[in-house]
Amino acid sequence: MKRLFVFLVLALTISLFAQVSVPREETVYIAGCLWGPATTWNLYAPQSTWGTDQFLYIPAFQYDLGRDAWIPLIAETYEFLDDKTLRIYIRPEAKWSDGEPITAEDFVYALELSKKLGIGPGVGWDSYIENVRAIASKVVEFKARTEPLNYFQFLSYSLGAQPMPKHVYSKLEAAGTIKDWINDKPEEQVVSGPYKLYHHDPNIVIYQRIDNWWGKDIFGLPRPKYIAHVIYKDNPSASLAVERGDVDWVGLFIPSVWEMWEKKKLPIGTWYKEKPYFLPDGVGFVYLNNTKPGLSDPAVRKAIAYAIPYEEMLVKAYFGYGSQAHPSMVIDLFEPNKQYINYELAKKAWGTSDGRIPFDLEKAKKILDEAGYKPGKDGIRVGPDGTKLGPYTISVPYGWTDWMMMCEMIAKNLKSIGIDVVTEFPDFSVWADRMTKGTFDLIISWSVGPSFDHPFNIYRFVLDKRLSAPVGEVTWAGDWERYDNDEVVELLDKAVSTLDPEVRKNAYFRIQEIVYRDMPSVPAFYTAHWYEYSTKYWINWPNEENPFWFRPAPWHADTLPTLFSISSKNNPQSVPTWIETTDKGGLGIPTAKVFTDLQSAGK
Amino acid sequence: MFRFLLRRFIFLLVTYIVATTVVFILPRAIPGNPLAQMLSSLSQVAQANPEAIRAAERTLMKEFGVDKPVLVQYGEFLLKALRGDLGTSISYYPRKVIDLIVPVIPWTLILLLPATLVAWILGNTLGALAAYRRNTWIDKGVLTSSLVVSQIPYYWLGMIFIFLFGVRLGWLPVQGAYSQGTIPSLSWGFFVDALKHYVMPFASIVISTMGGWAIGMRVMVVYELGSDYALFSEYLGMRDKRIFKYAFRNSLLPQITGLALNLGTVLGGALITEIVFNYPGTGFLLFKALTTLDYPMIQGIFVILIASVYLANFIVDFLYAWIDPRIRLGQEE
Repeated sequence: MKRLFVFLVLALTISLFAQVSVPREETVYIAGCLWGPATTWNLYAPQSTWGTDQFLYIPAFQYDLGRDAWIPLIAETYEFLDDKTLRIYIRPEAKWSDGEPITAEDFVYALELSKKLGIGPGVGWDSYIENVRAIASKVVEFKARTEPLNYFQFLSYSLGAQPMPKHVYSKLEAAGTIKDWINDKPEEQVVSGPYKLYHHDPNIVIYQRIDNWWGKDIFGLPRPKYIAHVIYKDNPSASLAVERGDVDWVGLFIPSVWEMWEKKKLPIGTWYKEKPYFLPDGVGFVYLNNTKPGLSDPAVRKAIAYAIPYEEMLVKAYFGYGSQAHPSMVIDLFEPNKQYINYELAKKAWGTSDGRIPFDLEKAKKILDEAGYKPGKDGIRVGPDGTKLGPYTISVPYGWTDWMMMCEMIAKNLKSIGIDVVTEFPDFSVWADRMTKGTFDLIISWSVGPSFDHPFNIYRFVLDKRLSAPVGEVTWAGDWERYDNDEVVELLDKAVSTLDPEVRKNAYFRIQEIVYRDMPSVPAFYTAHWYEYSTKYWINWPNEENPFWFRPAPWHADTLPTLFSISSKNNPQSVPTWIETTDKGGLGIPTAKVFTDLQSAGK
Repeated sequence: MFRFLLRRFIFLLVTYIVATTVVFILPRAIPGNPLAQMLSSLSQVAQANPEAIRAAERTLMKEFGVDKPVLVQYGEFLLKALRGDLGTSISYYPRKVIDLIVPVIPWTLILLLPATLVAWILGNTLGALAAYRRNTWIDKGVLTSSLVVSQIPYYWLGMIFIFLFGVRLGWLPVQGAYSQGTIPSLSWGFFVDALKHYVMPFASIVISTMGGWAIGMRVMVVYELGSDYALFSEYLGMRDKRIFKYAFRNSLLPQITGLALNLGTVLGGALITEIVFNYPGTGFLLFKALTTLDYPMIQGIFVILIASVYLANFIVDFLYAWIDPRIRLGQEE
């Protein structure tokens, strides 16, 4: 009995010390990227767990949106043999976490596997790349397709390619189990990035830094030893954790975020201290179904564009977290994009100094009057051919409160000009079904964001009829409003198959003329790049005053350099120099230089 | 006895098949597309290429067999469910439904089993006491407070708790099942930590559900005390305590059924408590599955739920037949 007692006490004391936890000072806690159980750490799945793409499997070159440059990570350099052939030279140091070297075969294998499975890193590459070959163990060659020739897609697929460990995957492929592979055993994970999985359960996912990571001598190590994502059940409980300083790095919509530092004096920040607080992440559109009677008339669509209360909507519904979008669809908040907007044209078309669409109900009514839409007895306008403007619905998914409020405001103003619009808020999947099948009337929805091939990406997403499908058939790829214009298609192809910047610019300018004429849908506002940080344990976060990385949100695919630049409060360190472009002593190669190299290789 | 049990068993089997069929049909009757959530997140990823979305769309349709006829899907589901294979989740692909449910079941059970039992015991005791001391201050106190408490939504109570004990007083942690950064282990420290996180969700469920039990028990005991046998015993001059004991035992039968049904549904989790306290559990999983139309996940959770309700019922039936000879004898006639 006595022995048993001693044993029990001993066991208890041992277990007291056995409690496992990660040290707070060495851990960056994250919220806002994961709202349910983890899925898989295998990229050959429709949705891998947050972190897999960001920190575990890194690309050859990392795109830097702020400087419009490419930072060589796994790659050391590139070389163009001619204007269709690119060679990427892999760093001799580059190794998988199990010690095997990263080779050209890993690049080729990763892409071929994505093609074969129809899912995975770089899927869809074969639309723009003729073939990928291993020239030597550390040299990969990409050859562009000429039909269609798209330099932007060619470069983004090849420079951004992520190699995958062939020696791991080929075994799984032989067993036929790639798609079911969860890859959740830390000791078996073979990664190229500086982190790998440490622990996961229904509450949390923790990654641990690989301290002898191959890139240590080139890039240093990312500063946090652990990055841990707490799985919150909803937005309010995550926001509460932010306020309490329990999380450090956040990608979350927080109502009246400025109160955190202005009123409550908490050590919390966003990109800007003042309005709009967040960087833009994309363009929010009011999509108008071009196939519905009434909405199929450009005059009606233009009148709608004048009747959207942009400013009021952003301030009241969106907490001022964004500004009105430019009607050209180009995100002009980033300097490199401005060259693609024909401001003169926009000014002429919309009558404002920077060419943004004014909120002008009188003008909207005038357009409708001129197009022959006369108000009926009920105040709803009827067109010359008897088409009644309504009843239409404007919808967003239930629970998207900010957008729901915008819908109410738009509906109210459209009614006042004689277009009968009511709001409707169905469940997400119902709403999404209508959006992708083209059976909606008006909706607010996302499009695409700033990227290497902007504004091509947004013109294509919104206007390219080849991405569309007949009404009733699902398409997620784009052109939800079912806009149909062959000239735009030609211009899009022209813009990306030329190496002459002037030709490209003129193609975009012509598209803008067409957009102002047809107004297929209304670019309404810039959606926010949700990003908040706490300086309670970690400092040096990128922001307006310290703008060293422009995609700093934890959920963003390009966020990795953020972790190399922040520092622990106890141990302030400077931002690494490699993050800069080559002319400033860094590693980043400006896109302009890539294009000049490409052009000169063609001569 | 054997025939009685056999009959119950056959009945169970039939209702099980009916129930699983309903579970198969209902989620599919909701308009929408189970792949919508996944494709939309693909579409919202920066630099998503239309080609990638197209390819994923095709692959997923094939992968989940959404393109197969519904009858074939139903047949596959029934066959697999019988083998214990609940299929692969759509929104958490490629994880198996069972692998997602199993890790959260202990949390749900640990929270809800004791909470349900404690609420049942406390509620019934208080209810019986009120009936016994009818029309005294005890009765009035129990009755009014039970009426009030049973009408309080437990999430509201939870939020009040969080605000008061978590945010204002700072006595208890506001969220989660254990401290952020600790990793579950069989240790004393972890146990204490988990216990601290346990208090508020546990208390909010107990307090808000015991009122209902108390009211029910009080009514039943009052009714029993007014019945012929109680009056008869009273006229015989039997002691109050003894009569109360008879009445109490007779009133307990329906409460046991109620408890069994409650315990059966425990596996469904307490959705709102889980959300308010950010507590892991099956309720949240079910909620997620419903909003994303993750058919296999919805089916999986319901199959487990139905099975456990039936099991609880079956056990109660068995217990009943054992406790109450009237039932057993009635069935055998």
